[in-house]
Amino acid sequence: MQGIGVQTKNVVYDEEPLKGFTMLKEAGFSCADFSLNSYLDNKTIYAEELNSFFDRSESQLESFFTAHKKAAAQAGIQINQMHMPYPGFVPGGSSELNDYLKDVVADKSMKLCSFLECKYIVIHGFKLARYLGSEEAEWEQTKAFLDFLAPMAKEMGITICMENLYNSMGSHLVEGPCCNAKKAAERIDRFNDRYGAEVLGYCFDTGHANLVGLDFEDFITTLSHRLKVLHIHDNDGRGDLHQIPFTFSRSRENTASTDWEGFIRGLRAIHYDKVLSFETAPALMTFPEELKEDTLKLIAKIGEYFWREII
Amino acid sequence: MKVVCSSSGLINLSHPGQGIMDLLGAGFHDLMIDLSCCYDQELESRIKIDQALWEKCAASQLNIETAYAPYLPRDTKDADLNERLQELTLESIGLCGQAGCHYLIVRPLFAGVGKEDEISLNQDYYISLAQTARQHDVMLLLENQCKNLGGHLVRGICSDGDRAAEWIDRLNAGVGEERFGFCLNTGVCNLCGQDMSEFVTSLGSRLKTVILQECNGQEEAALLPFTSVSNKQSQTDWLSLIRSLRRIDFDGQLILHFSDTAAGFSPLLRPGLLKLAQSVGEYFKWQIGIEHALKKYSSIVLFGAGNMCRNYMKCYGEAYPPLFTCDNNKSLWGTEFCGLEVKAPEALKELPDDCGIFICNIYYREIEKQLREMGLTNIEFFNDEYMPSFHFDRLERRD
Repeated sequence: MQGIGVQTKNVVYDEEPLKGFTMLKEAGFSCADFSLNSYLDNKTIYAEELNSFFDRSESQLESFFTAHKKAAAQAGIQINQMHMPYPGFVPGGSSELNDYLKDVVADKSMKLCSFLECKYIVIHGFKLARYLGSEEAEWEQTKAFLDFLAPMAKEMGITICMENLYNSMGSHLVEGPCCNAKKAAERIDRFNDRYGAEVLGYCFDTGHANLVGLDFEDFITTLSHRLKVLHIHDNDGRGDLHQIPFTFSRSRENTASTDWEGFIRGLRAIHYDKVLSFETAPALMTFPEELKEDTLKLIAKIGEYFWREII
Repeated sequence: MKVVCSSSGLINLSHPGQGIMDLLGAGFHDLMIDLSCCYDQELESRIKIDQALWEKCAASQLNIETAYAPYLPRDTKDADLNERLQELTLESIGLCGQAGCHYLIVRPLFAGVGKEDEISLNQDYYISLAQTARQHDVMLLLENQCKNLGGHLVRGICSDGDRAAEWIDRLNAGVGEERFGFCLNTGVCNLCGQDMSEFVTSLGSRLKTVILQECNGQEEAALLPFTSVSNKQSQTDWLSLIRSLRRIDFDGQLILHFSDTAAGFSPLLRPGLLKLAQSVGEYFKWQIGIEHALKKYSSIVLFGAGNMCRNYMKCYGEAYPPLFTCDNNKSLWGTEFCGLEVKAPEALKELPDDCGIFICNIYYREIEKQLREMGLTNIEFFNDEYMPSFHFDRLERRD
């Protein structure tokens, strides 16, 4: 479909969703990444200080998001992807918390994804290698979580997408779950074979990849058709800043310090034809409020540039 | 497993006497020499290495175990120097032969080499070195690289463990013998935020040397492990490295490379720094081979009935079941902890001669003193910082 999308966070507000979706459309976007995760913040999950948002019944949640659904349609924006609240498991958290994250939050997220007629939902793999001793053992836990979601995904026609993540070593960010493209591709294939449907796919996060120096082109071409959605954003290679592409350089030559050329080559090589979705909500906080529309327009223009280069 | 010290920043190769003396004084017996320091950035010779250096090392009983072939700065773009680099690498192989040095680390050619050509060009390059390496009985080690992208160091050639392993196998198959192996540079892995566990596991027995070098994860530096710390945490994932080296039963060289740390210390403090570095190297060796101490005894007991004891029982309790544990906390005597009876320290006096006492408590030296004053021997330390796995939680202090 060759769409251009961006997060709804910091643009679409519950009080007046039509205004936000209209702003996205006017800025040049055709799609949106619905920020469901912003309704249950990860810091509150880790602190076991959850709000009651997901305590609502399914019908109450649908009722809550009906205005958003209608507004997106009215503005001509397709909600093509959404982000499930994360983490889905807290190591050392109470069993009540972890059961709630799976049985309530994840379950209702899938149903809301279906309600919003959204094809892709992005999840975070569990960060457990330190505790369990290996990436394989960590994956087994994520796999169990995915096995819980997959039957729903199949029934609803949703593809769950896992994304490349990072871990912290002091103030240094290092490779986390799902950073091995070859393993990810094999796991996705096995999963989909097992369910006889495309229940699992991949979300390539450019910012997270940049933090751990991944080779963008190589990663994307290894994933190939399994790459379903994108989180496009930029950073300085140090912090997960979620800024606009081409923002950063680390040399006096002022060339980009993120491998956007590799990104384009990779997407071109796999004939990517879905949505270029920007995960740049924090950039909207960096610029003054009165420049928000211009900022969104710049992001959309970058999306157009990427498409011209990819095709 | 050998602990090796890099000469960089520690030995002046044209005036090596004091550096050699300092290294020996700190307890090092094995050396890695970086031949790059003999050349400037244009690969013009600055220092001539000759037989005298090898003889001096040999006379001091300092073995030259590994050498780095000359290499170019990472931001070099000019391909003109590649031919010269090849000549110098062949010379380096000859020098290794003279010195009885078995491993030579040879970085791939990268200057002016496009991504599409880097494997085929380097395949030819490495193969061209193999015959000379065979004549001098030198194994050539490939090393993981990073590359400069607008000032950001990202993953370069040989930074994927699976592919590096395949490449080494292909090179060895091409020359019909095991002439190629791998050197893992932990500093480069850290710059690229890499999972060293995955890397090491993929390499397996192809991994011959590990350069233990710390950095802050952003700028390339050769710091002593455990010295780059933020938020009270090391900025390198040593846990993943140690776990995986244990898993592959690593028995190669651990090379300490800390020229930047050394540069920060006064020459007057150098002997003290080297002693610390030697302890750091031995600590890695001990951690990787932590089970060796357990295997020494026909039976063992633990001292401590807290989190470390719990971690011991989780990871080693089945393979090396202790007879019991003991603790100075009287309220625990006679109770059971993690399936072990908790006894008073006095019970240790009744142990058979070939029973090891493993202190599972961070107050190691205080407890060791207590046990020695009781006339006990076979005292060992256990440590749970780099366990194969961890509990999700920690027990609250019970006293």
